[in-house]
Amino acid sequence: MFLKIDNINKTFTSEAGNNEVLKNVHFDIKENEFVVIFGPGQCGKSTLLNIIAGLEKESSGNVYLEDKKVTKPGPDRAVVYQNILLFPWLTVMGNVEFGPKSRGIKKSIRQKDAQEYIDLVGLNGFEKSFPVKLSGGMKQRVGIARAYCSKPKVMLMDEPFGALDAQTRYLMQEEVVRISAHEKRTVLFVTNNIEEAIYLADRIIVMTNCPSTIQKEYVIDLPRPRDYTSEEFLRLRQEISSIVEFTR
Amino acid sequence: MKRLKINKFRVISAVTLCVFVLVWYLVTAVFGLFPKTMLPSPDSVFFSFIKKLTSTVPDGGTLFEHIFASLVVALTGYVIGVGVGLPVGISMAWFRPVDHFVRPVFDFLRTIPGIAWIPIFTVWLGIGLSAKAAIIFVGVFVGTVVNVYSGIKQTNEVHIWVAQIFGASKIEILKRVAIPSALPYIFTGLRVSLGMAWLGLIAAELLAAQKGLGYMIQVARNFGRSDLVIVGMITIGIMGALLTLALEFVERRVVKGI
Amino acid sequence: MSDRKEKTFWAVVSLSLLTIVWFFASQMESMKTLLPNPVDVFKFLVAGAISPIGQHNIWGHILWSLSRVFVGYTLAAVCGIVIGSAMAWTKVGEAIIKPFYLLLRPIPSIAWIPLAILWFGIDEKSKYFIIFIGTLLIIMTNVYDGVRSVDKNLLGAARMLGAKENQLFFKVVLPSAVPQIFSGLQVGLGAAWATMVAAEMIRSSEGAGWIIIMGQNSVNMVQIYAGIILIGVVGLFLVTAMRFLEAKLCAWNIRGK
Repeated sequence: MFLKIDNINKTFTSEAGNNEVLKNVHFDIKENEFVVIFGPGQCGKSTLLNIIAGLEKESSGNVYLEDKKVTKPGPDRAVVYQNILLFPWLTVMGNVEFGPKSRGIKKSIRQKDAQEYIDLVGLNGFEKSFPVKLSGGMKQRVGIARAYCSKPKVMLMDEPFGALDAQTRYLMQEEVVRISAHEKRTVLFVTNNIEEAIYLADRIIVMTNCPSTIQKEYVIDLPRPRDYTSEEFLRLRQEISSIVEFTR
Repeated sequence: MKRLKINKFRVISAVTLCVFVLVWYLVTAVFGLFPKTMLPSPDSVFFSFIKKLTSTVPDGGTLFEHIFASLVVALTGYVIGVGVGLPVGISMAWFRPVDHFVRPVFDFLRTIPGIAWIPIFTVWLGIGLSAKAAIIFVGVFVGTVVNVYSGIKQTNEVHIWVAQIFGASKIEILKRVAIPSALPYIFTGLRVSLGMAWLGLIAAELLAAQKGLGYMIQVARNFGRSDLVIVGMITIGIMGALLTLALEFVERRVVKGI
Repeated sequence: MSDRKEKTFWAVVSLSLLTIVWFFASQMESMKTLLPNPVDVFKFLVAGAISPIGQHNIWGHILWSLSRVFVGYTLAAVCGIVIGSAMAWTKVGEAIIKPFYLLLRPIPSIAWIPLAILWFGIDEKSKYFIIFIGTLLIIMTNVYDGVRSVDKNLLGAARMLGAKENQLFFKVVLPSAVPQIFSGLQVGLGAAWATMVAAEMIRSSEGAGWIIIMGQNSVNMVQIYAGIILIGVVGLFLVTAMRFLEAKLCAWNIRGK
């Protein structure tokens, strides 16, 4: 199996008591599959992504990427964050080439490569701009280009459009579909927006809230680009919404 | 586990300090690598400190007399500097005409260190308390105005609008919105100025004084008493730190509610 | 742009007004000995720019003062950034350096003057040292705060992009601390200039501080005022140059704009 999430549990221990956020989370992802983790609330989903990224330690269980156990962060798993986390002192180009540069790849090669991804996300002409001059949507495009440019095996996207306005969000969803059709990658995408989940996913994993466990899985085989208003889309939306408990 | 780690670094700190004092002791008292006028041994500094508590040699005052003289001068200059600096800073930030006229003059004057005024103040005021207080006043005034000014200027516009909608007058908004929200900045100004006051004091006492900590280390230097110089420096450091602590204590009391 | 023009206009108006008030005040009988005529001060400055005051003309004095500041300040900037970083980024560094930092910080730079003279004599070395020690602690404080406040999430992002632990400091921590380091360098430069004046006033045979103290010794009020104005102008120039440099180097930062 390409990416194996093997029975992960996670409990945060603090003076206030134990907080169990992930419970027996177990699933597999095939190569080049676009999997969306969907669930209400703040609990667990981002933690799961951080564990896969190697930024946080699981309480028990294992993550395997191509049968190798994941223990620390590495360029084979790139994260796109909700708050983007661009390096403000670097230009768009500087941000996108950060990964290859850290690995000591020659300037001519890495910049040509970075330029391709900048073009791919539609930021041609902004290579020398600093992040402070970019809009939210443009920043997230840089974040995506930066993640792709470090040539990961898995893209981990943690509510990447959560901070964008509704209009930009739709646009970015279309862009993700276009980019991932062009650059086939295994993607694990976390969201709490049901439309976004159905629009993007090959498969949706619905998780419960606190502690998060897998509630149900849906394989979405609608043709792309998908239509938010098609009958099939709305039916799925209805069905998934009905099983999710939104906590107040 | 975590606790153990903290202790480990505490130990490193303690060991470093001990090694420092030991090396100091070795190069001075044991091997005598430095002449006594340059670097005294740590034990002689300690004994000089004890002795200076009661002895008036060589500068005509005990340590406490010097501390007291310095405190009087520093606090006089500080209180006046803050007293004048606060209203000037506030009116510069709040009233445009004042800003226009005073700001350029202020921007120029603030680049002149308080020390440079010493000759003028000694001509104007002699070398007594008032001249030294005036030197301190300059530094304190600048430090207070700069911080108060930027604090008032950074008042949240929305807060001002809300106050306007409720019909508050300009003066009322200043009193009830701008000044309270600038309090943290004002206190930063007070703290910065306190440092400036202490610095200005030492400068003034080095150049023109008959008592005070700055005068004491100056005389000690003339006599080649490096041990007393270091006693004086340590006392200056401790007094400066104590004054800052006192001010921070007041700040915590006042800014609490905001 | 028009905002800037307005500012310049008011600056000219208010400074001229100050000069006029000064002029009339100096004409009063009771102020004669305290306040020289501004015209005389101006004449003195112009004359001093051409013919020497003491051993040098004004430019020579400024150059002396600047060279002292330059040596002490550059040393302090380099050491401050290195030591401050070591104190902020490594736990062992913090354990070793911080006690000394805490002990030395409350001692004003000027209080070092007597000890500096005992250590280095009254020549240039003692002035370098005083400027160095006064500036060092200011810069260290800012470097320490800047490095400590690096966004931990940015470090995570860099790790995930494949940066190794030994790359993190130079590729993430130091650049992110640049604005704060810069404000330390700025404040430090002002302090270095002020300390230099003090050091020169206490012992020297040239420099901007010397002009003032010589004016005092020869009871020449015109020279004292000229010296003070000179110190203000050069100080203002240093501050402006530093701001310009910051705007160039920190273009990515809001503060730099």
